Order: sequence, then C-alpha cells, then structure tokens
Amino acid sequence: MDAIDSVFDPLREFAKDSVRLVKRCHKPDRKEFSKVAVRTAIGFVVMGFVGFFVKLIFIPINNIIVGSG
Amino acid sequence: MGGGFRVLHLVRPFLSFLPEVQTADRKVPFREKVIYTVISLFIFLVCSQLPLYGIHSTTGADPFYWMRVILASNRGTVMELGITPIVTSGLVMQLLAGSKIIEVDNNVREDRALLNGAQKLLGILIAVGEAVAYVLSGMYGSVGQLGVGNAILIILQLCFAGIIVICLDELLQKGYGLGSGISLFIATNICENIIWKAFSPTTINSGRGAEFEGAVIALFHLLITRTDKVRALREAFYRQNLPNVTNLLATILIFLIVIYFQGFRVVLPVRSKNARGQQGSYPIKLFYTSNMPIILQSALVSNLYFISQLLHRKYSGNFIVDLLGKWKESEYGGGQSVPVGGIAYYITAPSSLADMAANPFHALFYLVFMLSACALFSKTWIEVSGSSARDVAKQLKEQQMVMPGHRESNLQKELNRYIPTAAAFGGICIGALTVLADFMGAIGSGTGILLAVTIIYQYFETFEKERASELGFFGF
Repeated sequence: MDAIDSVFDPLREFAKDSVRLVKRCHKPDRKEFSKVAVRTAIGFVVMGFVGFFVKLIFIPINNIIVGSG
Repeated sequence: MGGGFRVLHLVRPFLSFLPEVQTADRKVPFREKVIYTVISLFIFLVCSQLPLYGIHSTTGADPFYWMRVILASNRGTVMELGITPIVTSGLVMQLLAGSKIIEVDNNVREDRALLNGAQKLLGILIAVGEAVAYVLSGMYGSVGQLGVGNAILIILQLCFAGIIVICLDELLQKGYGLGSGISLFIATNICENIIWKAFSPTTINSGRGAEFEGAVIALFHLLITRTDKVRALREAFYRQNLPNVTNLLATILIFLIVIYFQGFRVVLPVRSKNARGQQGSYPIKLFYTSNMPIILQSALVSNLYFISQLLHRKYSGNFIVDLLGKWKESEYGGGQSVPVGGIAYYITAPSSLADMAANPFHALFYLVFMLSACALFSKTWIEVSGSSARDVAKQLKEQQMVMPGHRESNLQKELNRYIPTAAAFGGICIGALTVLADFMGAIGSGTGILLAVTIIYQYFETFEKERASELGFFGF
C-alpha cells in the first residue's frame, strides 16, 4: 500500500495543482475569443492560400522542367 | 576574466567564413518588415516547389514521411531538408547552453556572437551531413544509377538550400522581419497542406473513377454530377483514402478549441520599484511552453520511426529489430510505410475506431505515451530554455520588478506555484488535443494544426506589439 501511495501521491498532488491553476486562470470571454479566432483564421487562410497558389503555379512549370529533363 | 579554456572559442576561427546578415542599424519601419517577411516566405515557397536536378527517382518508401509536416520539408525538391538543419542546430545549442555543457555569459557580447556563429556552423554541417546521407542511402536512386557527378550536384543543391534557409531566418531574426523564419515556414507549410487538401484541383483515379483530391471541390463536383444527391453527399462527407468534408470540419473544430485554450492565463500583478510604482502584469499561460512539447515529441517519434525503418529494411526478422517496429507498404501507395508491430506500432495513433476496438491496449498505450511525453518534455524544456521559475524571478529582479504583497525573496516561491504546473499540465493538454485531432481525422494531423495555430497566434501578438511601438513612436 505504501508503494502504491508513493506512486499516486505525486499524481494526486499534480492533479490538485492543475485544478487550482485552471480555476485561477483568466479565461477568454466570447468577445475576446471571437476576435482572436477571426484574426487567426484570417492569418491561417492567407498563409495557406499563398502556399496554395505558389504550388498551383509550379505544377505546370515543374511538368515542363521535369518533362524536358 | 579570461580563465581557462572555453569551448566557444573553438568557433572563433570560423566566424569570418560564415555568411552573415548585418544587424539592422536603424529602426526598420513596420511596413518594411512586412515586405521582408513576405519576400522571405516567397523564396522559401518557391524552393519548396523546385524539383532537384539530377535525381533518378523518388519512388520507394519515404522514411521521412512522418516528419515532413513539422519540418517544412518537401520530397524531391530543393527544400528536401526543410528547416531540419537550423532547427536541429538550434535545439542542440539550446541544450548545450542550458545544461551548462557550454559556458555562455549572455552579458558578454563576444559570447553571444560566438554562440550564434556556433549554431550557424553546426547548421551548415548538419545540412552537409544530411545531404550526403540522403544521396548515399539511395533516396534518389542508387549512387550507381545517379553517377558521381549527379550525386555531387544533388548534395550541393541541398546544402545551398539549407544555407538559404539559415540566412532567411537570420534576416528575420536580426530585426528586418517579424518573428522567426522557422515558425513562419512551418506554419505556412501546414496551412498550405490543409488548404491544398480542401481545394486541390488534382484528380486521382480510384475504384470509382476520377475523383478530385480537394474535399470542397469534390463536394461540389459530386453534388453537380450525381443524380442521387443523398449518396453524393454521403460520399463527399465520408469517402475513404482522400480528404473528405468530415476531415475538414474536424480540422476547424480543433482550430477553435486550440484558440480557446490559448486564452487561458494566470495574470500575476507586478510593480516597478522605481518609476513611481508603475503597475504591470506578468501572464503565465496555460500553454506555457507553447508548441514545444509537441515538436519534441514528434521529433522523438519521427527519429524512432526512421531508425526502425532502416533496421527493418536490412535486418527484418531479428528479435530486437522487430521489437522496435515492423513495417509494411501502405495499401494506398504514395511510398508510405505503416508500422504494424513493435514499439513503433504502439506509439502510432490508431487509424480508426474499429482499430481501437480491435486492440484496446494499443489505444491506451498510445494515449498514455502521448500525454506523458508531452508533460515531461514541457517540464524539461522550461529548465533548458531558461523560462523556469528561477529564471523568471531573476529576470524580474533585474528589471527592478516586485510583486505587491510579497517580499522580494518570495518571488521565486510564488512563481514556483504556477510555472511548473502550467508547463506540465499545458503539455498534457497539448498532447490530448493532438490525440483528439488525429482520432477525429483532422487534415494535416493534430501536430500540424496545433503548430500552425500557436504560431499564427504568436504572430498576431508580435504584430500588435510592433504596431503599438510604431504608434507610440509617432505619438511621442
């Protein structure tokens, strides 16, 4: 039983610390969340499409390059 | 001050040979920074699409398949090495300095220069080493087929690209751009991958005839061309082997969850001892180490896969090799091998609910491994990267900051109540989100989405800071 306790005690302590941490945390409200979500989504889409179009453009270019090689 | 031999001094003779970007000697306007960042990104993207000259083939199993997402690497192109050289050298130097194996005093200008030089030199050496390893291992066809000339050409191309990435990152870091090049390249690579899987116009032949690869394109195509709309819809949402709409929705869901958790933080009030008690705050985020645990965990797993596949190819049947992992060609081609036994199998995400039910131990083992690895890496990282409670307390002290209601000597103790827990628990949350994403079949893998979202989030924080200082400058 002591052996089991020595394993579970740190885990229990850690769980307690984690719960306290989460409770203490400031959590984003709806407005804050929406703002960040929209901006991150925009960044995501912009970066994604930049890469997407470069790739799209290079498909025919690569076919020419590799084809002639 | 000069007492005894120091490892960093070994680097001094090489400094003059290393390509170097001059530190910005003036305040670079925000608009110019954006331009430099965009140009760097474009150079990287073009290199990611340029095919290597002289390669014989890229068929056969790709041992780096699992790794490419987080290393911004594209097979068969000039950017085959991706950011591996620079990331690896960065991690190695960080570990050496953090572990005090290398003695570095950050207050000494020369030490910082030597450290940067060492990291760059190491990056170049790694690029050379990896390029040679790629060619000799037969990734592009055997050396006999390639010929010595082509082999050397390939190595030179890969090294050159590696150096370009190192210089681009340095350009951005030295104040000409926003944030770090590494983060920018990783995030863009992942975003591109996801957008491509959603909108790709490429067609692939399957048992049902030609199908569009992109999930959204396929959805519209199926709805337009099929007479049975209901079946068309079901196929668009649940088709196998290609990206489908459910995958896309899962990706969006994970995206939103990550953003929500990004906002969790404990805000500790701090006050300046001088400047008439100027008030401020020091936030400790739930994701204290950001995406670092998932990067380290992925790197660990990828390296294990790589070693396991190499050994399996040469010594399959050996007990220890089989214990490490058994592999077979994926049914769906693409040069991908999948683990079917051994440790490599158990640390791979179950591919489906059915797979999970068939082998519950696999699912459980994977889950425990993910969460434990992320927590441990996260906790270790704060010590190594100089963001532990002790390091933060030291920084605040140097900045003459105190916490109201606490004596100065108690600052570290107070920080210790939050930082280690935030690191470990944050790491677990990261691991859990990755597992959730992979299980739901999100496009790009859980690792990729987490990386992309956390990187973009950081970019916006940098963005805000830059604009604030710019406006402050004008307002002054």
